[in-house]
Amino acid sequence: MTGAEILLESLIAQGAETVFGYPGGQIMPVYDKLYDYGDRIRHILVRHEQGAVHAAQGYARIKGAPGVVMVTSGPGATNALTGIADALIDSTPLVVIAGQVPNGALGTDAFQETDYIGLTAPITKWNYQIRSAEDVAHAVARAFYIAGSGRPGPVVLDMTKDAQVGIAEYVPAKCDFIRSYQPCPVPDDSILDRAARMIDAAERPLVVFGHGVMLSGAEKELAAFLSKGDIPAGSTLLGLSCLDSDNPHFIGMVGMHGNLAPNVMTQQCDLLIAVGMRFDDRVTGTLSSYACQAKKIHIDIDPAELDKLVRVDLPVLGDARYVLSELTARIREVKRPEWMMRPIMEASVEKHKVIDPELHPAGGMLKQGEVVAAVAEACGGNAVIVTDVGQHQMSAARYSRFHNSRSMITSGGLGTMGFGLPAAIGAKIAAPERTVCLFVGDGGIQMTIQELGTIMQEGTGVKIVLLDNNWLGNVRQWQELFFGSRYSFTRMMNPDYSAIAAAYGIAYKRVEKRGELASAVRQMFETDGAFLLDVHVEEAFNVFPMIPPGKSVDQIMLNETDWI
Amino acid sequence: MKIHGDNENLYEVTAYTEDSLGLLYSISGIFARRSLDIYKLLCYPSAIEGVFKIKVYVWATPDLIRQAVLQIEKKVDVIKAYFEIDSQRSKREVAEVKDILRNREELKTN
Repeated sequence: MTGAEILLESLIAQGAETVFGYPGGQIMPVYDKLYDYGDRIRHILVRHEQGAVHAAQGYARIKGAPGVVMVTSGPGATNALTGIADALIDSTPLVVIAGQVPNGALGTDAFQETDYIGLTAPITKWNYQIRSAEDVAHAVARAFYIAGSGRPGPVVLDMTKDAQVGIAEYVPAKCDFIRSYQPCPVPDDSILDRAARMIDAAERPLVVFGHGVMLSGAEKELAAFLSKGDIPAGSTLLGLSCLDSDNPHFIGMVGMHGNLAPNVMTQQCDLLIAVGMRFDDRVTGTLSSYACQAKKIHIDIDPAELDKLVRVDLPVLGDARYVLSELTARIREVKRPEWMMRPIMEASVEKHKVIDPELHPAGGMLKQGEVVAAVAEACGGNAVIVTDVGQHQMSAARYSRFHNSRSMITSGGLGTMGFGLPAAIGAKIAAPERTVCLFVGDGGIQMTIQELGTIMQEGTGVKIVLLDNNWLGNVRQWQELFFGSRYSFTRMMNPDYSAIAAAYGIAYKRVEKRGELASAVRQMFETDGAFLLDVHVEEAFNVFPMIPPGKSVDQIMLNETDWI
Repeated sequence: MKIHGDNENLYEVTAYTEDSLGLLYSISGIFARRSLDIYKLLCYPSAIEGVFKIKVYVWATPDLIRQAVLQIEKKVDVIKAYFEIDSQRSKREVAEVKDILRNREELKTN
């Protein structure tokens, strides 16, 4: 077989059914063979390589398995970099296969040659240049193992033309061990016993959980742990949907635009138990004042995350699912009625000061929260919510409801505008039976709007809710609050989205009035296929609550004038 | 010459690695990202066949060097990484040599 055929056979052997890609000169031998594999591998032709990676991210987040990307060398490969960086910081498993110039041309500034190993070294979990057909099967097996195990992440295979056209015998390869790589460390019993004693001794414990819970499949274990210990829990942005929104121990989202209860209680608890999260600065606010009064346990699978930003009393290196199940077995069953009342009190303040004015305004233009709440009501908390990055992202996180895990797909660590539309395509392709609803702003949609072409070609039924306010809203908010209302280049003129939707054959509805919203949302969900709901929302809108930069997590703006 | 802070030491970082293209670049990048100047870098085969030894000498605070070494050890092709203060290493090596010489003197005497 040629190296290209071995690559495709190896992908199939790894269970890869779908590839997101874009052909070009140095990957043509693979695409030529892919032509014959149409019945075994579904190729999604995106409109830009960044879209391919984000779509593969959306796919991977739903499937819990690596998404596969195929791009050509040079600009094709560099266009993929943003998505790869996004996947690394958000622990998303990807295998990115990039074409590369022939072996003899490496390092000569050949046409469409870039040093892709050098470029991707800081933004991949592992990268490898395949220079011969004999090496292909082993490299692919290793790539999938590394991408999907331990703390997941993106892997790049830089495949020279010689490796694609060379001839070798295909020997299926497996990889489940690498001597230099220990993906799933197991903590000592003594550490678990000590953690259990700390939890039993605590009067006001608080759990903050993140994406790691979902990645390890520890959703049930988390719920059981919280129930036995009667411990309230807040989620990071990426942890949303790990716990049912109706779970009595779930008290909301932590962080800059999170809910009052988990943020305020972070500064009141006597034990903070962090599970599968990495103390991002958007979560902690000012580090020097973060939960200083509390003892801390940090459970994470990545040793480099322990004691990186927040010094803890007990780091527990291990998989969240294993650790939580062991801790649940070790802790005493208790009730903490007074402590569990605290989030109810904080939620009441938030409802009065923030949520009611957002969801039930006296008049004026539609607010973003109203739109999200209308969508949440229409889909009963059962949709996959995908967001882009910006104000709408925070509104979607705050006002969506989740009854199933793997239902919130967003760009957390890198905060990549343009992520949403292609990620929603990938999510819908991974879960065609589920409703996939994208919230996107008018800034973000225009960054990857060409992927409407992918929707058109593939018939992907993504529901797109465009929260259109003619501003780069998040930056505008910061300019208003922290830069003396100097709106430097954030006012945005928008195209005629109805014409754009029509050009791509996508159903479209424009909403400007409050009274039109519910029926328009209903129409969107009742319409087969893709739908673009263009909702014109309040322009000078600010997302609250907000922990301003440089403040502690209990120094919170409730609106433009009120603080707690 | 760069002025080093009171809390900074010259550390010797040792990493045992697989023979992997681009790994050296990756490791040096971890220091560059944290603005840690590499004072000296050595790379050579270790006593174990197929395993390489990379030594990096770098001025850093204790916290920064610990975090950087954890990130090095996280690399898939790094088998083991650790650090020690260069002056401690020198003292240890001197002590080891002295120990060897003392043993030889004792052998000679006996």
